[in-house]
Amino acid sequence: MEQEIPIWRIKYLPKNLDQICGRKKIKETLKHIIQQQNFPHMIFVGAKGIGKTLIAQLFSKEFLKNNYDANFKLVYADIPLSQEERKQVRSDAYISTSKIGSGAGRTITTPAFIQARVKPFVQLRVLGGSPFKILIVKNFEALGQNQQGFRRLMEIYGRNCRMILITTKISSIIDPIVSRCQIVLISPIKFIDFKDLITIIATKESLEINNEVIEVLYRISEGKISHAIDLLQLSSISGKIIDINKLYEFSQKFHNDLIKSLLMIAFKGDFPNVRELSRKILSNYKYDINEFFKLLIDELNKMPLSKFVRCKLINYIADADFRSILGRDNDIQVSSLFSKICLFSEYI
Amino acid sequence: MSNVKIDIPWVEKYRPKSIKDMALPSARMSGQRVKLAEELTNFIKNFFEERKKVNIENKQIRQYNRTSIDKEQKEELKIPPEKAAVLLEGPPGIGKTSIVYALANDFNMEVIETNASDTRTRDKIEKRLKETTKTRGIMDFITQSKEKLILIDEIDGIYGVQDRGAIPTVIELIQNTQFPIIMCSNEYKTNLQSLYNKIRRYEVHPLPKNEVKKIAMSILKNEKITYLKEEDLELIIDKNNGDLRGIINDIQGITQGNIEEDHKELILNLHRDNLEEIFSLIRDLFQVSSLREARSLTDKSDVDYNFLYKWINENLLTFIKSNRELSVAFENLSIADEIFGKIRINQDWSLLPYFFDLFAGGVALSRKETPISKGFRRVVFPRYTSGTYFSLTSVEKKLVEKVKKKYEITQIDFIQDFLPFIKILCGSSRRNLKIISDWLDLDAKEKKLLK
Repeated sequence: MEQEIPIWRIKYLPKNLDQICGRKKIKETLKHIIQQQNFPHMIFVGAKGIGKTLIAQLFSKEFLKNNYDANFKLVYADIPLSQEERKQVRSDAYISTSKIGSGAGRTITTPAFIQARVKPFVQLRVLGGSPFKILIVKNFEALGQNQQGFRRLMEIYGRNCRMILITTKISSIIDPIVSRCQIVLISPIKFIDFKDLITIIATKESLEINNEVIEVLYRISEGKISHAIDLLQLSSISGKIIDINKLYEFSQKFHNDLIKSLLMIAFKGDFPNVRELSRKILSNYKYDINEFFKLLIDELNKMPLSKFVRCKLINYIADADFRSILGRDNDIQVSSLFSKICLFSEYI
Repeated sequence: MSNVKIDIPWVEKYRPKSIKDMALPSARMSGQRVKLAEELTNFIKNFFEERKKVNIENKQIRQYNRTSIDKEQKEELKIPPEKAAVLLEGPPGIGKTSIVYALANDFNMEVIETNASDTRTRDKIEKRLKETTKTRGIMDFITQSKEKLILIDEIDGIYGVQDRGAIPTVIELIQNTQFPIIMCSNEYKTNLQSLYNKIRRYEVHPLPKNEVKKIAMSILKNEKITYLKEEDLELIIDKNNGDLRGIINDIQGITQGNIEEDHKELILNLHRDNLEEIFSLIRDLFQVSSLREARSLTDKSDVDYNFLYKWINENLLTFIKSNRELSVAFENLSIADEIFGKIRINQDWSLLPYFFDLFAGGVALSRKETPISKGFRRVVFPRYTSGTYFSLTSVEKKLVEKVKKKYEITQIDFIQDFLPFIKILCGSSRRNLKIISDWLDLDAKEKKLLK
């Protein structure tokens, strides 16, 4: 007998497109595409953790059918190249003059990322009966300058390989790429679908849960299904009846005290220490900069502050968040934000 | 006299041919003043004597080994490392390389050089030097060929990933060499400690000012340049801080530019991109009182602006103290960063002046209350490199790999999202911990991470 999976979020992971809850419209479109056996390059846009990659993966699986393993690749744009990959790229970059062909003696200047991760896959021929290969690039916005390299790539190898770019913020993708793609918006799950899903899990795990609790769960998890299932499992440890208190207790555990102390130091106006701590948090917990700002807002909302102060602070954070989208150095934006908060702390 | 100029750099043209007619910099070995010329000449002479001795003995040992196979084999002798190699250490441009070439010229030797422009991985060094050091080729025995002198220049440039394994190779080289090795380095490096232990190290000091001036004057005389005044020359020498190569390059640059007026302006504009320049630039920047001054500073400097604004970000706190000024400075810096981002995305390089004015002038001028301090302020490297760099411990990495077999997850998601959850789940009861660790097939170390 197959061993039962002890982690629910893995246990209830959808195995095919049909099992994905909600998002009927997107599912229909994707299924239509599968019938047609053709689609342009696509960009999947949506908030973090709502299942963009999962949908893209399941879609490519059903699209490619038996040839899935050979013709599919998932690439993370935000994971730096490993040392071996860099070495490989460097050694490949120069074509020796002893070789025959027009490339002899030339140096390849393609960005290392594309050279190492993308090109080898894209250049190879399609295997089996599939019309083309599928390449998924996750967190495409993290590529930054290397996005330029994708422009030609998408055109030259477009017939051979279609790309699905996955991103949380379309604004940081350069226009030439957006214009080459079909944009697919992946919305967060709707409450009705969420409720259905949770009820199914609850009956399977024989839990007792009522509508009110599901509503709270929906709010706490912010539409992230994996997060919601995690909370559900944690709450179920101490008993089969799920209540609101348990949910709050466990969601609190996920939270970080450091963010709170960071704000407290900032309110004292001690800038050097704030800068030190914020750098520590960002590097230790590997937070994405936008996520970090979001955590700050969450923490601010919990604090007893006057309306005016709260508004002003949120205004600052929003400003910094906006600038960080375009900016190149996150540390500057974070420092700038805290220097303003430190100055403002005199009025609190 | 023909007017045709031979187009080689003066640095090469006036490189001393012999160690005797060279203005030798003073040197110290472990604190003691030594005469470099004598030391090095003795070093080369001693090396060849030693080699002769060792080779004769080795010949006998080899013969012994060949004739008596059954008996215990004797090991061949080697030249002791302190007699095989020396290290010259000193600031750039004071004549370290020149000494070596002059020395080789005196002894009629051929110099085999490797420097920082070659990537010096283990393989590359072995390929280039090892064969020459170990054996003397067949041709060497037939023809009375030149002896060789091996120069490993800029050895402190060996570091990092590119040059992995280079230091052990160099040490191995020293132990097996058939030719004398001279190494040059700019500064003391801790990662070269294993090398320092084995060889003699000479600290070479810059030439005194009057010596430098003498050399410069003789070059000017030789080139028949009369219009460069003595005070101009002194200015150049001061600016270069004892770097003779820099001085010669500057003189050539100024005089061959054929501009016979405004030497002073030209001399003042001379800059050599180095760390000290960044340091002083940042110090100067916080002293300016107008936007124009700030702009002229950044205009003149060749420091890469990609990094310059990060340097400013890191060092702001040293120069500006009050929260009010800080917030203004960071506001300007953050707008500059945003503009730079726009430039890079859309390639709008016409926006670059705004970027410059904001990150340099805007930041520097935000200092209003904090007084300009005349004292020395320490300028530090930008420590924080933003971006998506992160690293996991080896146990964490293994854990991610194991989870990945069952469940597609990125390292970032794992650390932020999945690991806290698993920790709470496993912390709740022993049974849960066992089930999960069994399912993921974890060992004791990885289990500990979940507790």
